[in-house]
Amino acid sequence: MKAFCAFCIVLLVFGSVSEAKFDDFEDEDDIVEYDDNDFAEFEDVVEDSVTESPQRLITTEDDEDETTVELEGQDENQEGDFEDADTQEGDTESEPYDDEEFEGYEDKPDTSSSKNKDPITIVDVPAHLQNSWESYYLEILMVTGLLAYIMNYIIGKNKNSRLAQAWFNTHRELLENNFTLVGDDGTNKEATSTGKLNQENEHIYNLWCSGRVCCEGMLIQLRFLKRQDLLNVLARMMRPVSDQVQIKVTMNDDDMDTYVFAVGTRKALVRLQKEMQDLSEFCSDKPKSGAKYGLPDSLAILSEMGEVTEGMMDTKMVHFLTHYADKIESVHFSDQFSGPKIMQENGFLMKDFISWGKGKQKADKNRARVEENFLKLTHVQRQEAAQSRREEKKRAEKERIMNEEDPEKQRRLEEAALRREQKKLEKKQMKMKQIKVKAM
Amino acid sequence: MPTPEAAAPAAEEARPGFRLAMSTNNMSDPRRPNKVLRYKPPPSECNPALDDPTPDYMNLLGMIFSMCGLMLKLKWCAWVAVYCSFISFANSRSSEDTKQMMSSFMLSISAVVMSYLQNPQPMTPPW
Repeated sequence: MKAFCAFCIVLLVFGSVSEAKFDDFEDEDDIVEYDDNDFAEFEDVVEDSVTESPQRLITTEDDEDETTVELEGQDENQEGDFEDADTQEGDTESEPYDDEEFEGYEDKPDTSSSKNKDPITIVDVPAHLQNSWESYYLEILMVTGLLAYIMNYIIGKNKNSRLAQAWFNTHRELLENNFTLVGDDGTNKEATSTGKLNQENEHIYNLWCSGRVCCEGMLIQLRFLKRQDLLNVLARMMRPVSDQVQIKVTMNDDDMDTYVFAVGTRKALVRLQKEMQDLSEFCSDKPKSGAKYGLPDSLAILSEMGEVTEGMMDTKMVHFLTHYADKIESVHFSDQFSGPKIMQENGFLMKDFISWGKGKQKADKNRARVEENFLKLTHVQRQEAAQSRREEKKRAEKERIMNEEDPEKQRRLEEAALRREQKKLEKKQMKMKQIKVKAM
Repeated sequence: MPTPEAAAPAAEEARPGFRLAMSTNNMSDPRRPNKVLRYKPPPSECNPALDDPTPDYMNLLGMIFSMCGLMLKLKWCAWVAVYCSFISFANSRSSEDTKQMMSSFMLSISAVVMSYLQNPQPMTPPW
């Protein structure tokens, strides 16, 4: 029992002694161990942290803008080193910074001040360097113009089409009462009326009518204004023009006498006389005023001879021409129509043609005279053509002779050609003698 | 019932009257079905002066301007070529070959596109 108690007392003693030793370790080792060189690198830091001064504000002396530079204590120590190294600099050493570091800095405030004195000019960026939509104004203009042209094309084309259809609907009954065939494009196998206009263009419509007494057929051409072309629309603003209806009636040979006659506005007749061969050939006089025959002053007459005019200008004709004088451009009758094929007529006429004695003889004489002139003109041409044919024949024969391989045959052919030429010469000489004898 | 022999003379007597009626009808009706002639389109070679030369001129101009626009890289030439081809199309005849029109049109469009692909900057006026 006594031994157990002693053991416990010893244990207690040891426990208390050991606690005391640990305490000593904590208190004393700090001081002892932190003096080692392992922690030497932290000495400055520790010292700095111990001796740390508050952050110092340094202002440069030359700076007008009062820039502030905040430095830490570390920088102070470095500057202190510099100060220790450079002892010969004198006053500059006492400054916290080196002037050489700020050599250019003094100039900068000067230049900025000079800049403030010069005015700033803002220059526009050239259009070709910009990327905005406004710089493409010409392209936009072009596209707008194209769109306007397309719109005008559609509108003009539709208007012309409506005008043509309206004209045809108005005159359909009259045409069907006078002709068996109304409307033909020539492509169908059978001659059946199509009952519609042929569109040749966006502004030209044709209608062929046939199957009537006195005439072989009638071609009506509706020549509208070029409403589908914007350029033409603009040109028409300068020079007004109107739509035209051209009617060409092909008469039967038996139903029309031989004469050339035209009536219409003076301007149109002057133009026709220049353009049409038959009018210039047979109606050489200038257009005469139609007032003599009861026509308005606006209309003139071109006629081959007076009898034709008197025969044509009966009351019915005069009444018709007077009534539609402002609508008619020209009416042209001809049996010698050879120039431009389109005859210009306005209105729908039916006339019974009668023959007369002297007038017909005169007309026939005129035609004979014209034929003679024509033959004279072409005589030279025909002579030249005959000459060239003869030369061609001779050349062909010579070639045949040359190509002949057999010399005997060649010789015979040459002889035959010579004989033929001699005969011809003799004949010519005979003829010349006969002519001379006759002349004598 | 009249006998056929009696009917025949009656019919013959009626015929002149019938003929007279027919002739008066013919007199008032100018139509003649037996005199129908077919339409023959006038050949254009006979009237070269009458044919409107506008579509041909515009076609040619369009091609020339297209080539100028492509070769000389002139944008305004290409645009004028487009306008020429449009005018040629508007004035063309229905009998004309559409291939010619389309080729001229496509050439002018290609001239415009190529000009802008080579130089995307906006067009400067020629003056």
